[in-house]
Amino acid sequence: MVSPSDRPAAGLLTAAGRRALDGLLTGWAAVSVTFFALRFAGGDPVASLLAQGLASSEQADALRRQLGLDLPLIEQYMRFLGGLVRGDLGRSLYTGQPVTRIIGEQIPYTAQLAAAGLFVALALGLVLGILAVGEDRRRDLPLASGLAGIATALPVAFTGILAILAATHLGQASVSDPAMVRSLGLPALVLGFASAGAVARLIQAGMQETLAAPFMLAARARGLRRGPRLLWHALRPALPPVISLIAIEAAFLFGGTVVTETVFSRPGLGRLLVGSILQGDFPVAQGLVVLSALVYTLSHVAADTLGLILDPRLRPTE
Amino acid sequence: MMRRALVLAAAGWLVLIVLVALFAPLLSGADPIQPVGPPLAPPGVGFGLGTDALGRDLLTRMLFGARLSLVSGLLAASLAIGIGGAAGLAAAMQGGWIERAIIWAANALLAIPGLLLALMLLAAMGPGVRTIVLAVGLGGAPGFARLSRAAFLSARQSDFVRAAHALGAGKRWVALRHVVPNAGTTLLSLATTQFAWAFLGTTTLTFLGLAGNPSLPEWGAMLNEGRVHLINAPHLALWPGAAITLTILSVQLLGNWIARRQDGGAVRRAAMQAGS
Repeated sequence: MVSPSDRPAAGLLTAAGRRALDGLLTGWAAVSVTFFALRFAGGDPVASLLAQGLASSEQADALRRQLGLDLPLIEQYMRFLGGLVRGDLGRSLYTGQPVTRIIGEQIPYTAQLAAAGLFVALALGLVLGILAVGEDRRRDLPLASGLAGIATALPVAFTGILAILAATHLGQASVSDPAMVRSLGLPALVLGFASAGAVARLIQAGMQETLAAPFMLAARARGLRRGPRLLWHALRPALPPVISLIAIEAAFLFGGTVVTETVFSRPGLGRLLVGSILQGDFPVAQGLVVLSALVYTLSHVAADTLGLILDPRLRPTE
Repeated sequence: MMRRALVLAAAGWLVLIVLVALFAPLLSGADPIQPVGPPLAPPGVGFGLGTDALGRDLLTRMLFGARLSLVSGLLAASLAIGIGGAAGLAAAMQGGWIERAIIWAANALLAIPGLLLALMLLAAMGPGVRTIVLAVGLGGAPGFARLSRAAFLSARQSDFVRAAHALGAGKRWVALRHVVPNAGTTLLSLATTQFAWAFLGTTTLTFLGLAGNPSLPEWGAMLNEGRVHLINAPHLALWPGAAITLTILSVQLLGNWIARRQDGGAVRRAAMQAGS
């Protein structure tokens, strides 16, 4: 058997390259699914404009031509892919602005919220996970693991509302206060709490697994105290899975931001998506789904690659 | 002891809301859509849970809301379990290119997170409760396909299935007679998780205002309505929010209990790991 550290770095490159290719394929598939699902299920996006009396039938025909909706489906698809490669996602049916610009304007708000939420999730999850390992299972109230279990199940809409209520009752702020809209703390806390449970459970499971490993006994035999044993020997092997979880959570966070932004009346991609669905602004909605599919795929590839770097056991042996 | 009490409380809550959903019109004489009193009346005498911004009786709306919310969640979950389970079984039993195609399709769809997939379908089909149910059901199908495939696979690899094959049993017979029943416990606990997810999904989408009709007595939509009057009348949001939360927690608790009791925990964990 080849010892992990002897495995060639070339293995890392080919493995990472394979993941990247895989990600590219998945991204393409996701984008295509989006395109065809929207075309088949949605029918005519211009029809909603007609129904709302926002366009005359001549204007609607002109719009269809302009959007290329009169072309055969396969040609529309090729145009869509071509536009995507050039970074062109079409124009909003309502404002006529390029979709990329509309989305670009909202990205900073959501990125800020998601990053802060992720930070809270990791910090809280780490603490809860380590505490849960230390908890006596026979005791009647395993507080940390209980909290970790509940965190995932609580609807963000409700925790958000409870947080606002708590904040206003403590006299911290009022909902209509513009400072509240701009402040990141409360929304990030609410968003992060929802993901902290999954992080905690993963850390707890990983640590419990390694606690039974022979090297833990060896560490004990070498006279290492319980604290360093837990934090250095047991925690470290539990970390790589957390990194791949972050990729999944990144997407989950995006879903969470949709709700969080609504609860806290914050601007952002989530609000934009809900608004575009309600308005029937088809190109904007399509652009947002494409964006999230790409972000999700990318973060998965990145997480896999990072996992390969951190854990040599995952690299191919040949 | 504590755990037992929690499981009992969870089961009690679920039984309660199912009964309430079944007998909503008998339990309250009021109309869930028509105003019956002053707007934003606090909970207390007269109106058990208070009234909303239009003076509608909140207790009545909660009772009828149980009906709409539970049925939407159940329908969406059934859709996901039906489609996803069938795909998972086909993948596990057939193997070969069919399995590869199903896994590839599921993975490609999973590149879009479930809630977003549902939002995407809503973008195509337009807002409304019916489209929400359809969207959440279809959005949950790829995930369930992957998890159920793992459960079916582990049942398929057991000795009695090999014995059945060796005795010359047909593929379909083995699938329906041996593999499905023996994956049953794992499937049941996956199904409860799926229902919790579907319930959370449908109420989240109605909370986002995507039900179309804002006067609908539905817990998610009511929570959204309560959000506007949060400061002067918090009870508007508290009742539906607490009901949604309690339901999801209860379903998850029972799901965990099923998994532990029938010793399906190991299989379920294996399925979750293979699926994630």
